[in-house]
Amino acid sequence: MGKEIKKFRIITICLIIIICTLFIYIADDIPNFGDPNAPPIKFVEILRVELNQESDLLDQNKIPYQLLSELTNRGFPIPVRIEKSSEYKDEWNGFIIKEEPHYEKEEKYYFIKKEDSFLKVYRYAFVVRWIEKGLKETAVPNMVTYGLADYRGYDTLGETTVIFTAGVSVILLLRRKSRL
Amino acid sequence: MEWFLAKIFAKYNYWIFIILMMIGLYGILAKNNLIKKIIGLNIFQTAIFLYFISLGAVKGGTAPIVDEKIIEKGYTYANPLPHVLILTAIVVSVATTAVALSLIIRMYQEYGTIEESEIIKKSTEKEI
Amino acid sequence: MKEKERDVIVETVSRVMIPFIQLFALYVIIHGSGGPGGGFQGGVVFASSFILFVIAFDILGGRKRFPESINTTLSSIGLYIYAGIGLLAIIFSRGMAQYLNYGFIPFTSHFQENRALGMDFVEMGIGITVMAIIASIFFDLAQKNE
Repeated sequence: MGKEIKKFRIITICLIIIICTLFIYIADDIPNFGDPNAPPIKFVEILRVELNQESDLLDQNKIPYQLLSELTNRGFPIPVRIEKSSEYKDEWNGFIIKEEPHYEKEEKYYFIKKEDSFLKVYRYAFVVRWIEKGLKETAVPNMVTYGLADYRGYDTLGETTVIFTAGVSVILLLRRKSRL
Repeated sequence: MEWFLAKIFAKYNYWIFIILMMIGLYGILAKNNLIKKIIGLNIFQTAIFLYFISLGAVKGGTAPIVDEKIIEKGYTYANPLPHVLILTAIVVSVATTAVALSLIIRMYQEYGTIEESEIIKKSTEKEI
Repeated sequence: MKEKERDVIVETVSRVMIPFIQLFALYVIIHGSGGPGGGFQGGVVFASSFILFVIAFDILGGRKRFPESINTTLSSIGLYIYAGIGLLAIIFSRGMAQYLNYGFIPFTSHFQENRALGMDFVEMGIGITVMAIIASIFFDLAQKNE
């Protein structure tokens, strides 16, 4: 019996070495620890557009034609209003309208940046809405609680059902003689 | 020296995650006792939770509870989304461990041993 | 049968500490919206007080103080509270029928404060269920089946 177990352990160690080399191979794309510009917290790039000379239109709340055609080709919603994001010269925020009753109409969706003859379009992560508008929409200061019980309340219902089912299945397995 | 600092020290949560996960995977596959397999499963799940929560850390970030006095001092908030998803996953892991332990108790009452190789031998002999 | 030796220090300390552990668990459940905490965390702390009782004293005394009928009843009541609040939200949002949107239940007169109160009820339901199920799993795994 000992020989079969030893052969199986050697196969396991070879499998672990193969998986480790695969993990080391993809280590370039992983964001650094504590990066404030990583995709989960801020934004991710969706497309870039070649620019002629029409970036002044963005300051006057109008959208260039190339950007509009590119967005509709790929199926993204069209922004309704564009305004400056901060005191830097070449950064704008784009807003779209979402149809949800009892919430605010406009939502911050796009981040547009001009960078040496390219116009890059980013899309904000939806955690930005949790952080900025959470206290106004629900009167609760704790971000994790209103994320768990209000915006994601349906998942928590399934969660409670999971632990209830675990308790029931332990009862069914272990009470055989008379107490069931 | 540059690539050493950039690759290894900047992402040290990733390397800790790989080491813990491989320890757990070895425990599941290569050990003979059933209880040791369950412990390996728990180590595996703990490695995944640690990595997913460490993805939500922000430099200069504080706990995600809205407070106006902290914003004036210049802090930002950590990402609250991984915390929400991992709370659910921890409860699922507790439920899985409970059902697995009760299955081990039933197997001990039926076969009289917890070693996996002996259980396989006894079950094939019973069929014949 | 050999009688178990009594350990005086563990018995005395646990006799003092168990009510305070339960009080702390209730504090963690109720203050889930103002600070860290919530339903799952408080439920597990409450169940650990029963485990401390079984470790210090014997298991039959523990089962006598937390009988089986109360255990199964409590674990179902918590889930009823959660699904029931969702059903109330469907009834009170006439026409739009949104499940688990606590803003329509008329606790107070503002839309936002209704959501905070609905969240508090839901967290209490989760805490009750988690406490009862973890105590039930522990008593089943630790009791010998003659």
